[in-house]
Amino acid sequence: MSDHKPEKKIKPPQSVGWMAEYTDENQLLDACRQVRDSGYTRTDAYSPFPVHGIEDALGIKPTGLPWFSLCAGATGTCVALLMQWWMNAVDYPYIISGKPYASWPAFIPVTFELTVLFAAFTTVFAMLGLNGLPKLSNPLFNNPKFDRSTDDRFFLWVDSNDKYFNSEKVKGLLESTSPVEVSEVKEDDSPTEIPRGIIWAIILLIMVSLIPAVIVLDMRNSRSRGSRIQVFFDMDYQPNHKVQGSTSWFADHRVQRPPVSGTVARGELYASDPYYLGYDPDATASNERESHFVSLQADDANSAGQVNDPNSAEAAAPELNYAWLTQIPGTVDGKMYDLGKKKFDINCSVCHGVVGNGEGLVSQRAMNLAEGYWLQPTNLAESRIVEQPVGRIYYTITHGKGKMGGYAASLTPQERWAVVLYVRALQRSQNAKSSDIPENVTLSSTAAQ
Amino acid sequence: MSSISLSSDETPQELSRSRQDTSDPPSQWEQQAYDPRERAALVLGEHDFTTVTDSIADIALGKTPTMWYVAMSVSLSLLSLLVVTIGYLLLTGVGVWGNNNTVSWGFPIINFVFWVGIGHAGTLISAILFLLRQNWRTGINRFAEAMTIFAVCCAGIFPGLHVGRVWLAYWLLPYPNELAMWPQARSPLLWDVFAVGTYATVSLLFWYMGMVPDLATLRDRATKRWQQLLYGVLALGWNGSSRHWMRFEKAYLLLAALATPLVLSVHSVVSFDFATSQLPGWHTTIFPPYFVAGAVFGGFAMVLTLSIPCREWFGLKHLITHRHIENMAKVMLATGMIVSYAYSVEFFMAWYSQQPYEQFVFLNRPFGPYAWAFWTMVTCNVIAPQAIWFTAVRKNVWAIFIVAMFVNVGMWFERFVIVVTSLHRDFLPSSWAMFAPTWVDLGMFLGSFGLFFTLFLLFCRFLPMVAIAEVKTVMPQAHADDHPVKFDYQPSPDTPKELRRGHWFT
Ligand code: HEC
Repeated sequence: MSDHKPEKKIKPPQSVGWMAEYTDENQLLDACRQVRDSGYTRTDAYSPFPVHGIEDALGIKPTGLPWFSLCAGATGTCVALLMQWWMNAVDYPYIISGKPYASWPAFIPVTFELTVLFAAFTTVFAMLGLNGLPKLSNPLFNNPKFDRSTDDRFFLWVDSNDKYFNSEKVKGLLESTSPVEVSEVKEDDSPTEIPRGIIWAIILLIMVSLIPAVIVLDMRNSRSRGSRIQVFFDMDYQPNHKVQGSTSWFADHRVQRPPVSGTVARGELYASDPYYLGYDPDATASNERESHFVSLQADDANSAGQVNDPNSAEAAAPELNYAWLTQIPGTVDGKMYDLGKKKFDINCSVCHGVVGNGEGLVSQRAMNLAEGYWLQPTNLAESRIVEQPVGRIYYTITHGKGKMGGYAASLTPQERWAVVLYVRALQRSQNAKSSDIPENVTLSSTAAQ
Repeated sequence: MSSISLSSDETPQELSRSRQDTSDPPSQWEQQAYDPRERAALVLGEHDFTTVTDSIADIALGKTPTMWYVAMSVSLSLLSLLVVTIGYLLLTGVGVWGNNNTVSWGFPIINFVFWVGIGHAGTLISAILFLLRQNWRTGINRFAEAMTIFAVCCAGIFPGLHVGRVWLAYWLLPYPNELAMWPQARSPLLWDVFAVGTYATVSLLFWYMGMVPDLATLRDRATKRWQQLLYGVLALGWNGSSRHWMRFEKAYLLLAALATPLVLSVHSVVSFDFATSQLPGWHTTIFPPYFVAGAVFGGFAMVLTLSIPCREWFGLKHLITHRHIENMAKVMLATGMIVSYAYSVEFFMAWYSQQPYEQFVFLNRPFGPYAWAFWTMVTCNVIAPQAIWFTAVRKNVWAIFIVAMFVNVGMWFERFVIVVTSLHRDFLPSSWAMFAPTWVDLGMFLGSFGLFFTLFLLFCRFLPMVAIAEVKTVMPQAHADDHPVKFDYQPSPDTPKELRRGHWFT
């Protein structure tokens, strides 16, 4: 009751109302009704637990607290949805697990949680706020008997600010409700100023707690040449070795370890198996391969530029000296021959001709047009090619040769080997000698066919 | 209490009661009403408001029992184990754990799910049972809520450490930063942060708010100055005004309504961490309800584990009666049955799916290298709770205690089975591995119990262990309608009309 503050503490504390004590909640309810019907409105009852029916008995309006919760909950929903949309769809969008940036279904859990969080927080603090708590000083607490209001006694209080308040009348009314005791509530006359020491302590505490913030602000706004202060190393310093370093741990002092012999690392099969290469990489000197790499690059540079002498490409690329496979790997049978024929007819015959003599339709037309840049495809039956090991031909198909492009993209390794077989067959047929004709076949019979 | 008892048919309990009368005073079991038409008394013995206040406030304000010091020193030494292992972990790195590339979740996540699960009973008791008007909750809700909060504290430690660089854990929160990055709201791991964070906050609010009137009781009964100051500040000046009570009750109801879906959501979200992955054994739609049931199951087991000794040692048998214990045991049995059903559904789905990976996982669980863990789980979670069906077991609180201990163990193993057996053999046999905890893993697990019990013992010693005000509301003395004498006041005919007021005014 702050509105009648005495000027100084000379006067004895003033009365702020009357209080009656009951042992039983039913007496309290009875008394409440009487006080209510006598017209007093500034009243309150105090009990150790919520007494049901007291709102009616005393005439207390229901609370608007649920509206606070509702509004806070709705705010929570909106904040959560907006926050997630902003985070993942606007300010930092990136695709993850195939979901859209604003995946509303995935935003539901956080939305729900924040709705509950906001509503719960507001409910508790609005309850305390509406109750005027925390309030650590209360004139009622002056009466030591009032301590039992949180234990086993019930109290009814009539405020002296009430419109109809009349000290004698109120006392009489309360006494008529069969209370244990009726007592006058005196205003709290304990000093209200906070002691100096506490104020200074609080100021000091605030100052001290600002020091770290000031240091951080200063550091953010100044430059320094020193290295950063590392509270945690964050993996900046690790006990591992640098890639090309040496170590005493292994006998060869190398940090990088060679693969265990006899093993093939994943993905390295195509780079190490002769089947896929056409030559044996282990038996081929590494400097040989590197020199070829250089020459291939030179080749690329040539073809990228102007069309030059058709024969220059061949001249630019020296013959490779690889450990070529001399035998077709795997089983060689009629099926493979059929596959090879099919693939040769599709891929090679247009240039090299169906019999491989370099007289394919494309070539014929190009020769007829007599364009200067056309290089006649090699006659595959010429002795230079016949003498090439199978691995070399495989290599040509894979990577191309001079003016001819590679066919690795359109033929699998197996199909390439099949084509090699067919090329060999063509060579044989083109260079056939009469001794190649089987005994039981006569020339006349083939002619007849 | 409104009890309509027909005198003609005496129940067997009543018979045995009359037989016992000659020798011992009847046990609480024998005092219980077994007629469903009869309502069991929630506070046993000759008690009024004063003695109820006394029995609870004296624990908080009186002298510290010697046993408390003993218990506290044990839990403090366990707590120091936690501090030491965490310190060692921070200085060395997460490599000190048994986690490996394959079983990357290991103990930290097992313990996280274990503790979060335990936390569920508290809110269930305080919110759901409140909404369902289960008045028996008043005896145990404070207790269970405290347990919830402490369990969530323990739970929070583990994922916090599991992120590896704990000092960057604040990156989990959405705040504008110099990295120009935001958390990923489409991931269940972020949902988890919000779910567990909200749960911890709301539980704490609920707990504290419910405790304010009781703190005022302690303030008013305290005799030592420091107690008066401490409880005085904590009680926020509560004075039991009927207006305050009205808003308080409304707030309590609202919080209960908010916490009810919340408690169901939390473990659902935790289960999303597993279920939204593609790993066989985790990728299951049954996970959310299965996890929630498991959490309530494990949580009630923990409440039983704590309340059975506490009611004995702190002399609270009249407030936490045998009936309370029995009710909790029954909830435990019911949720245990749900959990068992969920286990069997998982196996059915694996068979029915005809999915080889799924089937492999569910063969690997009972027959693989971690079969011992699986069968421990089945023994503790499926078989052990069946004992509750028997009256002989329910009659003896310590038998219930033993069952609850089994369930505690079983629920930990359930999480072990889910985490480890699913991870350790995934799609690619070349990456299969076994998981074994290191001493740091075990130390942190034990240490988390130290933290839990330290907090719990502090709570038992210094805070009102039972909701004093709430218990008073369920005592027969608090029910005006049961006393026909009262409410006889009528306004006298000569009261002026404007003074005969209706309800809605101040
Ligand atoms: C676009 C036309 C064309 C096609 C199609 C073609 N080639 Fe060629 N081929 C050539 C030309 C042109 C040369 C001569 C390249 C040079 O020496 O610069 C050649 C050269 C060759 C050589 C000799 C390489 C050497 O060592 O000198 C072989 C073997 C060969 N081709 C095989 C084939 C095979 C097998 C196919 C089918 C997969 C094929 N070619 C498809 C145009 C073609």
